[in-house]
Amino acid sequence: MAGPTRHHFTEALAQLEQRALGGLDLVCDSLTRTLEALEHQDVELAGLVIVDDDRLDGRYLEVHQGILSLLATQAPVATDLRTVAALLHVIKHVERMGDQCVNIAKLIPLSGHEPPVSAEILTVIERMGALARSQVIQSKRAFESRDVALAEDLVRQDEEINRLNRECFRLALDIGDDIDKREWAMHMILVARALERIGDNAVDVGEQVAFVVTGLFREFSDASHVPPG
Amino acid sequence: MIDPAPPAPAKSSMPTPRPSLPQTRNAEAASGSPRVASAAGHTVSLRGLDAFYSDHHVVRGVTLDFVANEVTAIIGPSGCGKTTMVRCINRMHEEVPGARAEGEVQLDELDIYGADVDVVAVRRAIGMVFQKPNPFPTMSISGNVAAGLRLSGTRGIDLEQRVEQALRAAGLWDEVSDRLDEPGAGLSGGQQQRLCIARTIAVEPEVILMDEPCSALDPIATLRIEELIDELKRRYTIVIVTHNMQQAARVADSTAFMLNGELIEHAPTQKIFTTPSDPRTEQYVTGKFG
Repeated sequence: MAGPTRHHFTEALAQLEQRALGGLDLVCDSLTRTLEALEHQDVELAGLVIVDDDRLDGRYLEVHQGILSLLATQAPVATDLRTVAALLHVIKHVERMGDQCVNIAKLIPLSGHEPPVSAEILTVIERMGALARSQVIQSKRAFESRDVALAEDLVRQDEEINRLNRECFRLALDIGDDIDKREWAMHMILVARALERIGDNAVDVGEQVAFVVTGLFREFSDASHVPPG
Repeated sequence: MIDPAPPAPAKSSMPTPRPSLPQTRNAEAASGSPRVASAAGHTVSLRGLDAFYSDHHVVRGVTLDFVANEVTAIIGPSGCGKTTMVRCINRMHEEVPGARAEGEVQLDELDIYGADVDVVAVRRAIGMVFQKPNPFPTMSISGNVAAGLRLSGTRGIDLEQRVEQALRAAGLWDEVSDRLDEPGAGLSGGQQQRLCIARTIAVEPEVILMDEPCSALDPIATLRIEELIDELKRRYTIVIVTHNMQQAARVADSTAFMLNGELIEHAPTQKIFTTPSDPRTEQYVTGKFG
């Protein structure tokens, strides 16, 4: 049997994976800024999150073009093909997670300078933000190491983030009759929803890990049969 | 690149008594009636096939079924035994000095290495298209197509009609119908290969073996042959040896991967190129060696 071949292709695929997974690092940076801006009502920082989303969009285009080039010129098959197909999904999720950060950042100016906050709701949001960030980091580690168990563990964290999302909704319903407070609480429902979606996207990245390793695509959890809570 | 094969064919090391194939097969071939498209194709089965060049063991215990009316691609690195294996299917292998084959090759229920089987009839029933187009240089286009028929007897056969049918089936009729008497060697490479396919079809085989039929052709001619293969599988069982992985992916229903004379994996083509079971198949199709 001859030695390894296709060095150029192997390097190009590895580089493409690095750029796509590097997009998850950009999401982490954006999410950290978003949560900080939310905590301190920092409108300037929120503006930076919105502007910097161009970097994530650019990364999406770069990886997408790289994938097209690789498919057209190298005709990858088997594990290589699955990796390329998975990266196409991963970079889409990266772009969507960036958009969720933008969605949150756009809500920050709407809450006013000193909104009538609920400490209870803020604690829930803070916890959700930490969990979402952890999920993004873990999804990247799982993909890099092709660790299906680590990818499947994302579901455990996602269940917690889903529970907190429902908790936030319940707290918002009970916030009282003050119209400013109710408006703020509704914004927080939208923030919680965006964080919950980031968690879902991280799980989706995990599902791609399982696809690359096993060749079979399966949803880790069936979103259409989530128990009411 | 093709698998190494010793040079000029000479005598066989296999016994070659030459009675006819069973009457049911010959009756159809001799009838002269045009063969109509039929899903009732013929299956080729290899059971523990071993092939040797003197002491060199080049095909090792291959057991493989070629399903009727399907295209099966054989892939593998140079020298892995794929061409030798295919040549065992129509008893071409034994024409090489010192070459021999062991095991079973069955065409439906017929053991083609059986003592009472006519080798010529086997090769008529299992036609072969080679890597390099090989029209008979001194013959006209129609003469080339009719060559096989003339050798096997033309009584009761309308030669002109059979030539036209074969050329139409090979997708060449519209390009040559007004110059059937011109030399076959005057055609382009792609046309010559389709002419050779027409020559193979003309004798109405049951199985067509193709040994890298497009390796000497340009991309357009290659695509035409691939479209033709897709048409032909409605009537014939087709086995194609190819080094072009994308070609295997495009034309084959199933793909077999060979390495060092052994059959490593045989599965639906889609599976071989997305989720192969054996790591050696994975390494080969992804170009990690070969």
